[in-house]
Amino acid sequence: MSSNVVELKNVTKRYDAIVAVDRVNLTLNSGEIFGLLGPNGSGKSTTLKMLLGLVHPDEGLVTVLGMPVQQDPVALKRMVGYVPEAPRLYEFLTGIEYLDFIGDVYGMQPEDKRNRINEYLKALQLEGREGDMINSYSEGMKQKIALISAFLHKPKLLIMDEPLNGLDPRSARIVKDFLQELKRQGVTTILSTHVLEIAQAMCDRIGIMYHGKLQALGNMNELREMSKLPDSGLEDIFLKLTGTGDVRPVVEELLK
Amino acid sequence: MNWKNVAFLVSVERKSGRLIRGQRLTKYRESRLTANLFYIIALTLGIVIGFFVGTAYSQSFSDPAVSSQFQPLVLSFLWSLPTIVMIYSVVFTMFAQIQRSGIKASSQVPFWLPITWQEHTLASILANMLGFPLISIVGIGAGIVTFGFFAGLFIPAVLTSLAMLGAAFTASALTEVFRVLQMRFVGAVYKSSGRAAVWVRFAGSLIFFLLFYAVYFFVIYGTGALTFIQNIASTQNSVWFVPFVWLGIMLYYLTSGFLLEGFLFLGLSLLLIAGLFFFGTWLNKRFGLYEPPAITVTHGVYAPKTGLLGKLGFSTSEAALIRKDLKAFTRRRELMTIFIGPIVIILVPLFQQFGQAGEAGSVQLNLLWAGLTFLFPASIMAMSLGNLIMGEEGQAVWRIYAAPFSARSLVKSKYFFVVLFGLIIFAITSTLGAIIYGMPFRAVFVGAFEAVFLVFALSAVSLANGIKGADFNELPRPRMIRVEWSLINLIACALGGLAILAPLIPYAISTIIPGFNVLDPYIAVGISGVVAAIIAFVFYRIAINNAEELLRNAES
Repeated sequence: MSSNVVELKNVTKRYDAIVAVDRVNLTLNSGEIFGLLGPNGSGKSTTLKMLLGLVHPDEGLVTVLGMPVQQDPVALKRMVGYVPEAPRLYEFLTGIEYLDFIGDVYGMQPEDKRNRINEYLKALQLEGREGDMINSYSEGMKQKIALISAFLHKPKLLIMDEPLNGLDPRSARIVKDFLQELKRQGVTTILSTHVLEIAQAMCDRIGIMYHGKLQALGNMNELREMSKLPDSGLEDIFLKLTGTGDVRPVVEELLK
Repeated sequence: MNWKNVAFLVSVERKSGRLIRGQRLTKYRESRLTANLFYIIALTLGIVIGFFVGTAYSQSFSDPAVSSQFQPLVLSFLWSLPTIVMIYSVVFTMFAQIQRSGIKASSQVPFWLPITWQEHTLASILANMLGFPLISIVGIGAGIVTFGFFAGLFIPAVLTSLAMLGAAFTASALTEVFRVLQMRFVGAVYKSSGRAAVWVRFAGSLIFFLLFYAVYFFVIYGTGALTFIQNIASTQNSVWFVPFVWLGIMLYYLTSGFLLEGFLFLGLSLLLIAGLFFFGTWLNKRFGLYEPPAITVTHGVYAPKTGLLGKLGFSTSEAALIRKDLKAFTRRRELMTIFIGPIVIILVPLFQQFGQAGEAGSVQLNLLWAGLTFLFPASIMAMSLGNLIMGEEGQAVWRIYAAPFSARSLVKSKYFFVVLFGLIIFAITSTLGAIIYGMPFRAVFVGAFEAVFLVFALSAVSLANGIKGADFNELPRPRMIRVEWSLINLIACALGGLAILAPLIPYAISTIIPGFNVLDPYIAVGISGVVAAIIAFVFYRIAINNAEELLRNAES
């Protein structure tokens, strides 16, 4: 049994003629925050879904928390927290009903469930609105509920697609600090985002996907070396490594 | 008023209406022929029928003495048309609004565009008229004008056509007013009823839908429709103080030579139309962007217990899923209609039969109706609910995919829910049926067992098909099941139902032909039970396999 939390070996996924993920190899360790970046349609979401067993690779092997994802998907899902990009919630439930549903689905003890729900609601300033139907929530409030439902059952692996979407600055800060604390407790987080500042500030290592391939992988210093941009931030590195850097002609065309 | 804006808004509403009805729009610009096909067909049919009836009329009644006897009959029919058009236009435009109420795709007022509320209100009223109300007016109008040309009633026919248009516009304006008022009223009810709002909404929606469908079926089907037309033609003038018959009365006076009265009612009708339009505009200006307040269901700590479901052998996750589905079906308007369908289908004919029940010579008919009351609604509930219970998850289905649900747990929870509601509907309708029709014990016994068998078996059949054909798309409206799987389910349930009821056929015939009985009904019920058990077991297994496949290929 592997000690790595996540292991992708030569993983390929095709949708008809389109190769969404192309022979990706990746290993993540316990207590690591990993940023998965890439332009739209580069294969990030497909890769995240493969880690949760929601999408099957056509080739290669995906191992999560020491077991192949298809071996016991139910047991695996119990140990993973997932926030998809633009999560759709059951809007006819109230916030607290939704979280209670999630707690039951993950088999939490009633006392533990109640305490944790109340703590999260308080921390993310949802107190007072928890009894309202979700369809009356703003996008940011829905995102908070989606985040709480990913944290609630104390997962060992967090898979998050744009987790800070729509959050107010205070809540975003709380989530970022909370993820750092979870890291110290050994929880591994995979983070996909287009906000490169967040990735640069939070992630131990970053993978940049482009056209389904893992174009670059490493910490900030390693990425700077790869891109030959020694003093640059992640934005310049990203644009250079994905070959999408020269944006000036586009802007000039728009200004005509 | 910028008429171009009105025309653009009407075309947008028209396209969104077609999307809501499930049509696919593949081209930005369509040919006018395709877009107006139904209007063209109605116009052609109207002209052809009007021509044949008009020429036959003019030839048959060429003698003025004979013709003068029939002309009042024709005229009284024409006078009743505007009111009839108004009533069914109200029904159909409200129906269109109900269809829209469940959709996810917002038809939000584009308030950020340079469009006035007057333009928006007019476009909304005109768009409401599109479809059946306008198509029928085109058909009837073309028919009566052509007929009138040959029958010497050209001017009354033209006036009637114009009055019908006015009636449809009035009906549509009334629906527009009702729509905005209802939205505001619902908001006020939510606010004042506090935590009970969710149940007020459920009960209110049930009552509204029941009343609406009862009226709908009364107006559209059966002897009610004919009686209705006769009543309008004969009583219209005596209720002159009701604004909605003014167009009909106007026609009566104008075509009878009472011009002063005719113009008075024309003026009143125009005032009514203008009044409704301006009231609708004012309401839209005031509440057009109003959003009902949030429904607060719970306060503070919320901790339901597994309770009874736990004692029945359900795990916490299975019980949570059942509780979630229960809330979905009592809070989502598009799902509430699933409960109403079986009740309305059986209640409307039941009420019609109510007066005849117990009459001499209707024993067999009573027994047939009683049998249907026992078997039909519960079976329909099992069939429709089982078919939709997976697809109703909609886009939030990712939660099921990502959560630790096994296929077995998923099917167990969903199957329990479908069976439970099938049995609840059975309990309600069979009690009503047994009381109304005064059924003998043997018939009650047989009916009750057969209904329960049908519920268990058809729930499994429809759940298996519902999982296989689940459609999680929610735009422009929740689909829940793919059309082909809905049809497959219908056929499978019909065949399954027939197989379960087959042993009872000799018993049913024996109630009509005494002495025909070849099989004791209790034995027949036993055989039915075995057949139902086999069907339920096989399809429950198929449902688990389909659920495994669904979870395995979640997003592929």
